[in-house]
Amino acid sequence: MRRVLLRCYPAAWRARYADEFEALLDERPLGPFDVADVLLGALDAHLHLRGASTATDVGRGFLMSIRIGGYAAVAGGILWFLGFLTAQFGPDGTDPIGLWTMVAGTAGILVALVGLSAVQARRFPKLIWGAFALPMLGTVTSISGMVAMQVVGDEPFIGDISGWAAWAIGSLTLIAGSGLFAAASWRTRVLSRPGLGLLGAAALVLLLISPGILGLAPWLPPVEVGFLVVLVLFAAGWVLLGVGVLRSDSVAIVPAAGAS
Amino acid sequence: MEAPIPELGRFAEPALLILVSLSDGPKHGYAIMTDVEAGTGRPMGPGTLYGALARLERRGLVEALAPVDRRRPYRLTGQGATILAEQLRDLAEFAQFGLRRLNQVPK
Repeated sequence: MRRVLLRCYPAAWRARYADEFEALLDERPLGPFDVADVLLGALDAHLHLRGASTATDVGRGFLMSIRIGGYAAVAGGILWFLGFLTAQFGPDGTDPIGLWTMVAGTAGILVALVGLSAVQARRFPKLIWGAFALPMLGTVTSISGMVAMQVVGDEPFIGDISGWAAWAIGSLTLIAGSGLFAAASWRTRVLSRPGLGLLGAAALVLLLISPGILGLAPWLPPVEVGFLVVLVLFAAGWVLLGVGVLRSDSVAIVPAAGAS
Repeated sequence: MEAPIPELGRFAEPALLILVSLSDGPKHGYAIMTDVEAGTGRPMGPGTLYGALARLERRGLVEALAPVDRRRPYRLTGQGATILAEQLRDLAEFAQFGLRRLNQVPK
């Protein structure tokens, strides 16, 4: 456990503090408070070291986008999946904790989209911002639908659209947009391709089977076999993309437009 | 009240506690943690401790000594002692100000 926590810190920080920090962690049993505190410390060290080691404001902003996008992708993917599992979306009502977890996850994915798009858009602005629009619309619609489910229940909140319908349409748009974002990002070669490949493939399969599952397309069979697996893979795609960004130093040295 | 430990954000309070802890002599990380907890009744997490220590070291307010086994003691620098004294005086003045408003200043 201590080794895992230490690995969360950046290499430069570990080179200076790892021995004494590990000795400190060995001095007493680690409780949940300590683990959370160490993780926050690691996040701070990443943000601070990256920012401090970059000479220009542009560089600092660029690296900050990478860090925020990476962490948001990891957190967003995990929370989105946990929320989907526990919210029990349906006409009989939803579990509020699961619902707010999914709101947080969806918001995390939105932040990840902004951060990772900003990173790539320096060199490929039209391609990336074009691919950003659809999933952004999906996340905003989905979040609006979930909030409406909590505030007005099953009642329509915009025209004839209920919160559930907005969530379902938004989620499908998010899935489709994630696939589009993965495809566009694949072309830029800036982000980690394993994460993009997994995200794109899972999004495509989910897009094909979700309308039947959600009851939005009655003519499609409700293919539930493997649905959960594909859902896991979709979330894992975001997590893997985030981890790839955070671990890859090559991303950090992609030159800005005009810099090469 | 001025902020003699500038630009430390959320680490300002832990940094002050660390400086106070080091004011009676060098201590390593675990000793600082237990000292702070004994003095304030509140635990300081390892991540917070080292986040604040790293900032204090970069600003020259504390300095690292040679490690003993794997433990590395830190001590207050002259600049750190000066800034700590200023900070504590400011806090004392502020406390007096608040107590006067509450009419609880000892006669």
